[in-house]
Amino acid sequence: MPVTPSAPSTTPRDQLDGPRIARWARQLLVPGFGAAGQERLLAARIRVVGAGGVATPALVALAQAGAGTLWLDDPEPVGPEDLLGWLYTPADVGRPRAAVAVAALAGLSRFIKVAPYPAGGAPSATLICVASAALALEAAEVARRGKIPHVVLELDGEAGQLVSVPPGAPCFACGRFTAAGERPPVAASLALASLAAQELLRLVVEPEVKEGRRFDVVRGVPGVRATQRLPGCVCGQTGTTSEAPAGP
Amino acid sequence: MSEFRIASAMIDVRDVSCPITWVRTRIALEKVGLGELVVVLLQEGEPLRNVPASAREDGHRVVSLQPLEDEGPGTWEVVLEKGAPPPALP
Amino acid sequence: MDLSRKSALVIGAGGLGGPALLTLAAGGVGRLVVIDDDVVESSNLNRQPLFGEADLGQPKAAVAAARLRALHPALQVTPLARRFDAGEALALAADVDVLVDGSDNFATKFLASDAALQAGKPLVHGGVLRTSLQVLSVVPGFSGCVRCLFEAPPPPGQVPSCAEAGIVGALSGFAGGLMGAEALRLLAGERGAYTGRLFVFEARTGRGRLVLVRRRPGCPACAGTQPLESTRPPGPADCASSPGGPTP
Repeated sequence: MPVTPSAPSTTPRDQLDGPRIARWARQLLVPGFGAAGQERLLAARIRVVGAGGVATPALVALAQAGAGTLWLDDPEPVGPEDLLGWLYTPADVGRPRAAVAVAALAGLSRFIKVAPYPAGGAPSATLICVASAALALEAAEVARRGKIPHVVLELDGEAGQLVSVPPGAPCFACGRFTAAGERPPVAASLALASLAAQELLRLVVEPEVKEGRRFDVVRGVPGVRATQRLPGCVCGQTGTTSEAPAGP
Repeated sequence: MSEFRIASAMIDVRDVSCPITWVRTRIALEKVGLGELVVVLLQEGEPLRNVPASAREDGHRVVSLQPLEDEGPGTWEVVLEKGAPPPALP
Repeated sequence: MDLSRKSALVIGAGGLGGPALLTLAAGGVGRLVVIDDDVVESSNLNRQPLFGEADLGQPKAAVAAARLRALHPALQVTPLARRFDAGEALALAADVDVLVDGSDNFATKFLASDAALQAGKPLVHGGVLRTSLQVLSVVPGFSGCVRCLFEAPPPPGQVPSCAEAGIVGALSGFAGGLMGAEALRLLAGERGAYTGRLFVFEARTGRGRLVLVRRRPGCPACAGTQPLESTRPPGPADCASSPGGPTP
């Protein structure tokens, strides 16, 4: 671990007082986390695109870790498959996922703000966990152009694949496998959603991380590799802010 | 102490227990520069065993350890010098 | 595969046991037994997904059972608000199809492994500490056990220091999720991904590896001569959060 005597000082909006230290004591002891990391996390605004059942372990982990603002971006109602996650009960079927998840997550921590994604919100990091590859690519492209760290969980194959994209790293389209088009069982993907939260927390807490990486699971064992930029991909060019807006 | 040095921070962790004692100490160390001193007031017993040991483990130096009865029974003063963190696992 | 007639004993309802329970429930296991003698504290709420702020001070086993029933009304859950100890370990192990050890101390981890071997039941062992996790499946008569791996609990004087108690919920969620998914494999009659192979994962590098755990010649637990030992600490715990072991 490199020593940074004059680490970039964050301006904490939320000071670490006694109750907050007691709540996050155990993670304040983790190398790479610490008070500076916790303050960065408290100051973060995290947009979560897709709040289906598989995303719920990540939502819970982010809320419990103290992600200061969580914005849930999901227009869909709770469906039967979402009940295999960590948050939704049978009585929630048919109600909007974002509203139900906001209420459930609010009960986990009084130290954070959880809300549906506001129009025009300016997130500082994004977690993407949507069933549609097109929506995932679009949300990742928005995050890349915003130069904010993002992590994409794509359900595919045995359990899924996970791509971590710190600002400037090869984009999600470069880093992902070509999808096999097979949906894994929800129970197999829940662990990977926790790892997705772990990856996003790392990017928020340790902004010096620059390397993008991808995880995929083979026979129960997650493997990692560095992502590579595809030749000619727009993510390798500089001065990308003047591009046309992403998506349809 | 052979040399007189001014501490950059002082914290009192006599009102909390493990692991908050060490968490608060760690935060105080995090906020000072390399080589600077942090004074910790703590209670004898478990905190006196754990806080200096944890500090050494994280690469800091225990400069001094002494009872400070003026501050109340069982109070000790521990002076820590911020060191470099141990290398991360490969 | 229909697992509704299968059952699992989960030791500990916290950072590992909670995600494991949620995964087992999502996988359709019919009956879960959860044993935990703790009450919910604020410092648990950075990582233990079955508990919210309204549960502070309540027994973990009962809260966990209520939460699991709310999410999965068809699930049969038996909460045991007491310590997993030598007196009933064998009976509890004999009553289920698989054991999942999400406990927070070495004595319990050894007892869980010893009792599983005596009862002839598979066990999924796991642990998480700072930025690393490990998972191992013990299949009686086939693979090495926890005692083959570690020989004996560390002496009481060598308990980890407070500095080693660091833990982030996303990583313990990942570990517990892997443990739950592994237990589902074993219940379905498949070969476990970690049977006789200790999976070790380091979150910062993202690297995982498998370490072979063979049956150790002379292991008393594998030979059937290991007495079941009490998990009660000899004296009062030195450190409130770290009663002698990896503490999820």
